[in-house]
Amino acid sequence: MPVVRLQSVDGEVFPVDVEIARMSFAIRNMLDDLGVQDNDAEEVIPLPNVTGPILRKVIEWCTHHKDDPPPPEEDDTREKRTDDIPAWDQEFLRVDQAVLFDIILAANYLDIKGLLDVTCKTVANMIKGKTPEEIRKLFNIKNDFTPAEEEQIRKENEWCEEK
Amino acid sequence: MDISPEVWGQLAHAHEHGLDDGKTTRFRTTIDKLPDKVLLNIFSYLPHREVCRMARVCKKWRIIAYDTRLWQTVSLRPEVSGLHVTTLESLLNLINVRFGQSLRYLELPMELITHTVLHELASKCPNLTHILLDFSTAMQLHDFNDMQAFPTKLKYMCICLSEVIFMEGFMRKIYNFINGIEVLHLIGTYEKVEEEEEEIYEVINIHKLKHATPNLRVVNLYGINFVDDSHIEAFSSNCIQLECLAVNYCAKVVGSSLKTLFQRCRKLKCLLMNQTSLLSEHVSAVEWEKTQLQELDITATDLSTECLTDLLTRLSNLRWLSVGQQDGFNDSVLRAFTERGNARNLIALDVDSSDNLSEDALYKFICKYGPQLRGLVLSGMPHITDQLWGSVLPILKNARILVMGTADRMSTKIHVDQLMDAIASSCPILERLELRWDPETLRFSDKGQKAIDAIRVRCLKLRCLVLFDGRYYEIVKANFDRADRNTVLLQGTPIQLTVTLMMVAVLTNLIMTNIVGIVPT
Repeated sequence: MPVVRLQSVDGEVFPVDVEIARMSFAIRNMLDDLGVQDNDAEEVIPLPNVTGPILRKVIEWCTHHKDDPPPPEEDDTREKRTDDIPAWDQEFLRVDQAVLFDIILAANYLDIKGLLDVTCKTVANMIKGKTPEEIRKLFNIKNDFTPAEEEQIRKENEWCEEK
Repeated sequence: MDISPEVWGQLAHAHEHGLDDGKTTRFRTTIDKLPDKVLLNIFSYLPHREVCRMARVCKKWRIIAYDTRLWQTVSLRPEVSGLHVTTLESLLNLINVRFGQSLRYLELPMELITHTVLHELASKCPNLTHILLDFSTAMQLHDFNDMQAFPTKLKYMCICLSEVIFMEGFMRKIYNFINGIEVLHLIGTYEKVEEEEEEIYEVINIHKLKHATPNLRVVNLYGINFVDDSHIEAFSSNCIQLECLAVNYCAKVVGSSLKTLFQRCRKLKCLLMNQTSLLSEHVSAVEWEKTQLQELDITATDLSTECLTDLLTRLSNLRWLSVGQQDGFNDSVLRAFTERGNARNLIALDVDSSDNLSEDALYKFICKYGPQLRGLVLSGMPHITDQLWGSVLPILKNARILVMGTADRMSTKIHVDQLMDAIASSCPILERLELRWDPETLRFSDKGQKAIDAIRVRCLKLRCLVLFDGRYYEIVKANFDRADRNTVLLQGTPIQLTVTLMMVAVLTNLIMTNIVGIVPT
């Protein structure tokens, strides 16, 4: 199996099977643009937005999912579900909040759709059922509304609160 | 990409340095760092009620929550989505500010269906292609005399009828706008307990409707008390593109138009006639060998043994077959189907409550066709126990849906541990499993947990597991809950769906949620 070498921002180099690296559309495009041949094993691809520990996680996820079938066409007329995260992924994503967001940023930058979707679902599950105040506390978000604005938004969304 | 690793290394070093200063929080990645696009993706997994609530968190979240892209598929039926729009003013505001160009699918309850709302949808939501209009709770129709516009790009329309409200005042205003419709659902008010005395009103004029809809591919008339064979004839005369016709629970249908239907609609692949009053003579009159029929549901229609034999030996492309609750379906029919019919393409079989089928005949049939079956329903038969299932499960490698068991009290017990174990090791791609045995009939031991573990771990695609309420249900539920597998739905009292209805969605774009949402339990 041909190998590419991915280098994280902190200089760590990870040899990765080409097929696994190509699950990232960003890397796939880079390899295609550079016309990298199978035998260019010394080629190093720098990834200036990803740290070593996060890149290690991303590669671990891709390796586990390398044989997954391509995701089905999205059916917009159905509500998207969040209760179908595979057990392995749930365990894999049982990490510190900051690490989870780092993985999301990496999945977004590297354009790995499967990983981005499963991490976004995980965050959606963290949000579900919470009040705005609980959300601010959970994610350390500052309430930047004035009391007047707050009242206005409450009114705008009044109709969809449970009666 | 030109920045050398050294520079990045220094930056990383500075990063670590910051950590050493104890200012940990400043460098920890927070949700603020996520690009809007990603936040939008996260919000897209939230129900609309939650999205509205998240608008109150902060300014950035408010902008995302109001993004029209989150409002492509919207139900304003409170019992479906929990969204309860109480004033027309707020609905008009929603259409303008949040739905806009994005809206593609909309469900409206009766009180929100007014000409002002429909005008607004027609002018502000050019991409609206799917609509559901629920009149089922209506006592009186709004006045549509002033209605001049209606969404024009509709491909899919579902109308939930009321028993007593005549729709014509509304329908005659929309005929000019709906000729692009390909999928039509008309949902009646079928109820199990029929009140004989009540008068039946023809609340929608199907003979006029068919003229307006020449491009229909799917027609689903569900549980409408006035629908009879003349209405089937009407659709067949103007809709030659028809691929799927469903008239489940339309008790007046006897099948006298079926022959004409198949002569005119050559593309018809799916026919669902569950709980109709089919007569054997009309069914036998159809030139079945000339049809393209792949999916057939004739559950609970009381056809004769001769008619069933005739039907099943003349159809050559069958893929889905539901023939449950048929006294006429006996061993000789099954034998004729095997020997003279063509079950080569069969992937789903539902013979619920077919008491005249013997265990032996079913065993032989499954031995021959088991490997190709994706769905098998053998419920409602006290003589079909874990013994038969135990012997055929190893053959059912491709099963996605399995339904077994009967609520009747039985003299023998079902050893559910061994059964679950066999399912776990035989059916890795199982998606739906129903065990309909009475809880008292199920026997399990202390080691039962191991079998449940096995199902949970090996059947990773299992999304729905149905058991009757009881001790075993509690044990299974606790086991799945502990493992955080809330994927799997456990219901105390299952809705009964035939296998055809469970699987039909794939071929015909019938949107299951709509049907299931309305089926009386």
